[in-house]
Amino acid sequence: MDYFVSTVIFTGIALIGVLGVYLITGLTGLFSLGQAAFMAIGGYVSAVLIRNYNVPVVPAVALAIVAAMLAALLVGLPTVRLRRDYISLVTLGFGEAIVALLNNSANITGGAMGISGIPQLTTLPVVLVSVVVCLALVILYKNSKYGRQCLALRSDELAAKSMGIDVYRLKLITFLFAGALTGYSGVLFGFYTTYLEPAAFNWIISAEWTIIVFVGGVNSLTGTVLATILLTWLPEFLRFASEWRVAIYCVIVLLIVNYRTAGIMGERELSPKTLRRLLGRTKEAPR
Amino acid sequence: MSLLEVRNLTKSFGGVRAVDDFSFGAEQGEIVGIIGPNGAGKTTAFNLITGVYPLDRGSILLEGKELAGKEQFEITRSGIGRTFQNIRLFKGLSVLENVMTAADPYSPYGLFSLFTLGAAFRRREREVRAAAMEYLALVGLEKYADEKPSNLPYGLQRKLEIARALATGPKVLLLDEPAAGLNPSEVREFIGLVGELRERFGFAVLVIEHRMEVIMTLCSRIYVLNFGKLLASGTPAEIRANHEVTEAYIGKEDASCSV
Repeated sequence: MDYFVSTVIFTGIALIGVLGVYLITGLTGLFSLGQAAFMAIGGYVSAVLIRNYNVPVVPAVALAIVAAMLAALLVGLPTVRLRRDYISLVTLGFGEAIVALLNNSANITGGAMGISGIPQLTTLPVVLVSVVVCLALVILYKNSKYGRQCLALRSDELAAKSMGIDVYRLKLITFLFAGALTGYSGVLFGFYTTYLEPAAFNWIISAEWTIIVFVGGVNSLTGTVLATILLTWLPEFLRFASEWRVAIYCVIVLLIVNYRTAGIMGERELSPKTLRRLLGRTKEAPR
Repeated sequence: MSLLEVRNLTKSFGGVRAVDDFSFGAEQGEIVGIIGPNGAGKTTAFNLITGVYPLDRGSILLEGKELAGKEQFEITRSGIGRTFQNIRLFKGLSVLENVMTAADPYSPYGLFSLFTLGAAFRRREREVRAAAMEYLALVGLEKYADEKPSNLPYGLQRKLEIARALATGPKVLLLDEPAAGLNPSEVREFIGLVGELRERFGFAVLVIEHRMEVIMTLCSRIYVLNFGKLLASGTPAEIRANHEVTEAYIGKEDASCSV
């Protein structure tokens, strides 16, 4: 049971981080290969504030999210005007730089040894409530002027500008929102494992999150949620295969990406409307 | 003062003068045609006016205010709407959302109002949706609101581009070959539509078109571009009678060929 609960908690934390990637990659069509660094910033800032400076929990969490957003602003300001492929390079570099910074400021962060003795505050209810709130915020964002304009600039940036969309500002806002979400997932992570080390936040995590968004279907929030659950649980299910685990995982991902190029859900979302349409279609389909 | 006044528009790409010292204007409610052979610089002129490329030289005045040097989105928000020669709709969005997106930049609500489901957000969202539906109805696309634009036939996609441009609230509407690929009956319908929209909104229309039927019926003034330079300008009747224009289009009459 404990094992089940911990898997659910880790899935929830990953989902909040992936939501950040969904905003950047799924909605806006940019690649952030350093997204895990924002998780590190969230986790470390809250941990250091509580452990070393005895800051109460709520302000510490708020400050951690603000720190992640400031970092997003720092990366975002110069990069939003760059071409899409350069953005992935800059974010990759930024992510690795943060990991290096954490490794080398041992007097605050404990360096490669990591930081331990963080209070365990993340419980199942906390994670579930956090997931629901974050998901609600992202759903609202997607279905507002922000989400529409993001999708517009993803499909045709020149046309988007010609419709009066301030694409740089919009990219920056999306970047900040994503940074806040990912930062918060880092806070939850630190408060659950009670231990943080820089190596947990390298580019491999960011790449995994990007894979999750693609497997789910870049446009579809429902797909992103499903893929997060599927791909976080998959390695656990595959434990029996011991060293073949990673290989099987890769094969499954490749199969999905090859045979469902639009991802599991494509552009579809789970809503009352699509459900009705789906049921209607199965009824009509002549077999 | 003219509504739109373009002076000495000039742009080179490498050694090629794509647009060379082109001056023209449009009054409120006027439909102005820009014609010329392929590669004459018509679309480049549109791209210069809308800020896609920076100008080398020249000035673009909308109601006396300078637009040159502004960002693309600022120019659109000042009142220049456009459609594209090679249709550029937003693929990931529905037909209705395509039009809503063009009205969204004018929505004043912020993230706080959005995340707290504030009244400002909900009211504006209703307004934008209703306005977008109305623009769709104007071009006759209201029953396709929930479709993806790629599922629409070509002629309807062109109409959707116009509906989307209307949602930006233009004072001057730039149409880049809006009748390309339409069949003769669609062309006649299109001519009627542009006339109606002009009556209703009172904006000026600049139209690039190769279909002479469109240009000659709609436009009160025509500018002819050739190799980036203004070759002639005048009323449809004057342009029709102009020898230089026929030559630019069809070539010179060869004396040895005449019987």
